[in-house]
Amino acid sequence: MTAWLVRRLAAAIAIVFAVVTITFVLIHLAPGTPFAADDQRQVDPEVIARLRRQFGLDQPLPVQYVLYLRNLLHGELGQSFSQHRPVAAAIADAIPPTLTLAGTALVIDFALGLALGLYQAVRARRFGDIALGNVALFFNSMPTFWLGLILLLVFGQWLHVFPVGGMRDPVLCPSVTSARCLGDLLWHLTLPALTLGLVGAAATARYQRAAMLEVAGQDYVRTARAKGLRERRVLLVHALRNALLPIITLFGLAFPFLLTGAVLVERVFAWPGMGRLSVTAIFQRDYPLVTGAALVASGVVVLGSLVADVLYAVADPRIRGRGAGP
Amino acid sequence: MTVWTWLALASAVAVALVAAAEVRRRAATRAAGRRFLRHPTATAGVFILAFFVTTALAAPLVAPYDPAGQLDPVHLQNQPPSTRFPLGTDVYSRDVWSRLVYGARLSLGIGTIAMLVAVTVGAGVGAAAGYFRRGIDAVLMRSVDVGLAMPRMFVLLMAVALWERLPLAVLVLLIGLTGWFGTSRLVRADVLSLREREFVAAARAVGAGPTRVIFRHVLPNAAAPIIVSAAFGIGNVILLEAGLSYLGLGVPSPLPSWGSIIYDGQPYIATAPWTSGFPGLAIALVVLALNAVGDGLRDALDPRKEAT
Repeated sequence: MTAWLVRRLAAAIAIVFAVVTITFVLIHLAPGTPFAADDQRQVDPEVIARLRRQFGLDQPLPVQYVLYLRNLLHGELGQSFSQHRPVAAAIADAIPPTLTLAGTALVIDFALGLALGLYQAVRARRFGDIALGNVALFFNSMPTFWLGLILLLVFGQWLHVFPVGGMRDPVLCPSVTSARCLGDLLWHLTLPALTLGLVGAAATARYQRAAMLEVAGQDYVRTARAKGLRERRVLLVHALRNALLPIITLFGLAFPFLLTGAVLVERVFAWPGMGRLSVTAIFQRDYPLVTGAALVASGVVVLGSLVADVLYAVADPRIRGRGAGP
Repeated sequence: MTVWTWLALASAVAVALVAAAEVRRRAATRAAGRRFLRHPTATAGVFILAFFVTTALAAPLVAPYDPAGQLDPVHLQNQPPSTRFPLGTDVYSRDVWSRLVYGARLSLGIGTIAMLVAVTVGAGVGAAAGYFRRGIDAVLMRSVDVGLAMPRMFVLLMAVALWERLPLAVLVLLIGLTGWFGTSRLVRADVLSLREREFVAAARAVGAGPTRVIFRHVLPNAAAPIIVSAAFGIGNVILLEAGLSYLGLGVPSPLPSWGSIIYDGQPYIATAPWTSGFPGLAIALVVLALNAVGDGLRDALDPRKEAT
């Protein structure tokens, strides 16, 4: 198990390293530079040359790459061009909002998804199952940002129940300091988290239902039924345990989904998180910030699948017994 | 909307009904087809897809106005749905219904082409990795690991934002080239077990080279995961294109794709929700249909699994 874990961890680090390299090469190969005169502003070529020197852009690309990696090993992500502060600071500011949003969405996703999937499996092939299944499929097919727009329109613009964007009231609550501000944050959080959570829950419910029904066909479940246990107990106690295993994989897959969804949903709700940071950084050709965001994004994805693998090994004795792991 | 456009629309519905009925009739004669039909939504999915494909192909007949034509920028801005404009007009006084119909061409076309690219590369890489194993397998699958760890949206955003005015064809190619990683894993898994079977050994024994064995013997038997991931792949690409266009980075504005129509209408969503509302609904319907058909195909092509 330990050897497997070490190998798995090394692979994860190698993957993140590869992603950083690809991002670095891509962004430097792209035409255009971050410091240039455009239609709106005239810049002295002397100033541009100085800026390029200051940020090391006058060096050949391989040298820049080695320098970047050396800084990375020391935990230095570099200096953001556009924000006039370290990349790490910019990212550190953007992570809590995204974590709040994605974390809440994850809870909605799995709580609602598991409950729905279970209900559907218990009522399999009856009206409730089929109706809910179609509703879930419909939600699963929507563009996440479009659902966000619609929720925003209905609950923000028409009914005025929820705010039309932002993370907190800028005047009353510049930061979470009191219970009332926490309420304000939750009030702003509801729609974006629901948007992400509902779409995710639809997928989770579909998986959970399929997993339950697959397990329900196995011999040990038939044995439980033959003992005369009630159907509810058979499904919710005996079958559920094994049906939760594939959900662990789904948990790992939820990370990239939430991350991608967050880019668009953050845009819809003007949520000041990683998604918005990445998009603006890309548009401003803020090389270090883009590479840093790619590092965080791929790190989260790799971490998600790593956590899922470990959880799976812990939860499933068949895999643990093999020692080497998957 | 004239009588003719209504007639054209009715014909499209009729064509779709006939297509769905024909699929049902053909499917009922085979075991796999009957497994497909056991999905109550699969036939409905075929109908929806047939309808959208027909309208896309017959766009000039079904769309009453020029999709890019600004009818009257002064008086016909953001008109609500009416008999003249069944889905209203957008801020540039263009008919939303006509844009939606022509948008079906772009959105479905982009989805199909990008999916073909993704599935071709995915099947090729998966087959090579599974068949040759050893070094080739290791190198290819590690690249797949890296590809899966790069958020697709992020890569595409970078490409589109950094290379300004990227031609649409290149964008479609890029969407395809970032979408094959999952497929290649599925195909590889199938190929790994297929290559040990007797008929592959027999083919090799009579002197068939690896190319022939892979294309004539192994891949046809691994068709199930390829077809299923193709069905889901189109839907994914349509959603992805919509997302990119929503950020203003997908299909350039005068061209109508469903995503870019949503983008155009988004600033006016409070006063003219129809512009952004209907294309989103169209996306949801098409992706829903693709998912339903994909579910049906998966059960039809994988007899080991009981239909649930």
